Amino acid sequence: MNGALLAFTWRQQRVKLLVVAIALALFGMLLVVVYAAFGRDLRAVLESGLIPQGMVDLMQQLSGGGDIFSLAGSVALGMVHPISVALVCVFAVGFGSAAVAGERERGTLEVLLARPISRRAVYATLFAALVLFVALAVAAQLVGVGIAAAATGVSSELDVANLPLLWLNDVLLFVALGSIGLAASVSSDRLAPALGVTLAVTLIGYVLEFLGSVWPDAKGIQPFSPFHYLQPSQVLSGKGDPLDLLVLAGIAIVAVGYALVVFPRRDLAAPT
Amino acid sequence: MSMTAIATQALTKVYGGGRRGPTVRALDDLTVEVREGEIFGFLGPNGAGKSTTIRLLLGFLHATAGSASILGLDAAQDSVEIRRRVGYLPGGIALYDGLTGQALLEHLAALGGWATPRRAELCDRLELSQRTLGRLVRDYSRGMRQKIGIVQALQHDPELAILDEPSEGLDPLMQRAFYGILEDLRAGGHTIFLSSHVLSEVERICDRVAIVRAGRLVALEDIASLLARRKRRVEIRLAGPGPDLTRVPGVSGLTATDGRVELSLDGDVGPFLAAIAGAPIVDLTIEPARLEDAFLEYYADAEAEVEPATEAAS
Repeated sequence: MNGALLAFTWRQQRVKLLVVAIALALFGMLLVVVYAAFGRDLRAVLESGLIPQGMVDLMQQLSGGGDIFSLAGSVALGMVHPISVALVCVFAVGFGSAAVAGERERGTLEVLLARPISRRAVYATLFAALVLFVALAVAAQLVGVGIAAAATGVSSELDVANLPLLWLNDVLLFVALGSIGLAASVSSDRLAPALGVTLAVTLIGYVLEFLGSVWPDAKGIQPFSPFHYLQPSQVLSGKGDPLDLLVLAGIAIVAVGYALVVFPRRDLAAPT
Repeated sequence: MSMTAIATQALTKVYGGGRRGPTVRALDDLTVEVREGEIFGFLGPNGAGKSTTIRLLLGFLHATAGSASILGLDAAQDSVEIRRRVGYLPGGIALYDGLTGQALLEHLAALGGWATPRRAELCDRLELSQRTLGRLVRDYSRGMRQKIGIVQALQHDPELAILDEPSEGLDPLMQRAFYGILEDLRAGGHTIFLSSHVLSEVERICDRVAIVRAGRLVALEDIASLLARRKRRVEIRLAGPGPDLTRVPGVSGLTATDGRVELSLDGDVGPFLAAIAGAPIVDLTIEPARLEDAFLEYYADAEAEVEPATEAAS
């Protein structure tokens, strides 16, 4: 790993990270505030039978299977919601796929690799930066949850001890996606293919998980999605499955292994 | 005895083949040696294999066959250590546009863990003022970018500088300053490997030159001996009948019209001068041999070699 490259990458990304972190924190706060303001009323509406049970089941499935009208359910919904997924993907997909291919396309990889840094060290540094950015972004969302829960007086409804595991589960999901992005990035001379591959994996994964949630016959396809292994409701209820973490870590390890083999062996022809 | 800074042995790079399209031999069996302390010119037109050679030396590309060593280290195995001791200026260098010139130079030095003993002097000689260095690189002209590229390649005082088209974009004054820097580096025992297609530049500053064409080495010589073997162009204007020059050693391409004689002259000028002594000469012009002529001659020879082979094949 190269400290100067890590510091440079941090400086290059810090404003973007700040914006994403604030957005995620606000989003995390919003769901808790909504729950605190309307959660009990909504539960009463549900229990009155005004909303069809099928619709209620669907909403619970979409939120990861938990009780959407509990604080834990609201937090779980926030973790799998497209808004938070898209925000964290700014780094998992955007940074991951651009880290090498973007430099290559701009021609600056040439200048970087003219220094006495091995390609593996460059990769390790960028991977460390990816983990750092994802970890901070996800943490910001959970900090937002904590602040809003304390401010609205509902924090007693949440088992705070489960939050670190939820953070780890979410971080591992996006690090797995980011590792795929980095693997695509080291394999490509241009940003567009690397970004396209990573975006495709992410979107297909998200759609597979969504389809499996809303369509019982499609449940069998869920295990093929990385998103299937993010189970915030189970984690927040203390029933998280360590296998989920292992699967996500496994995806990341395979992608990292691929990149560490492919990147040093690649020919980097003169930029055109 | 001078040591070898760069040595390639049958270095070959082939692209493509199979599903990756037709095979292209970007570099074919290149064997050259660059001595420590010399300025070595690597000449050839676009696509001749100059950048491929440099990228093989620095580990950006992996050789299909053959080997290369730099400063006694294996180019394939010791690439990181080689890059620690080498300064590299890529052709058409791309820089981080969002940094100031100063921040960029500091960043590139920090990446390499290098001290920068020559930075101030280089900036001074290339007229990069503190004010200029304080501006964003995105606002730089092409020439200023090239100057920054030169400084980043040399600021850590490398043992060997590998410069790809280094004077591109520099105005004549800055080119002169740059040549002065290279000459000082040579005087200090540094080695310069310089790829170029600016023949006057190579002729002016290089000690030896290699000429490549279509990935193959077609010449490797001292500039001085290369020029010594080239033909000079001679023009004589006469006020009366001229001497018979047909049998003078080194004279060829003789044409005489209306008191004007043109010829080509190679080798020793002594017999020619002796032959024209006493002739009614009004004016005499002897154009020095130029590297451009040598270069074009090599290419003409190489074309001639290729054409019969192509005809035979067809």
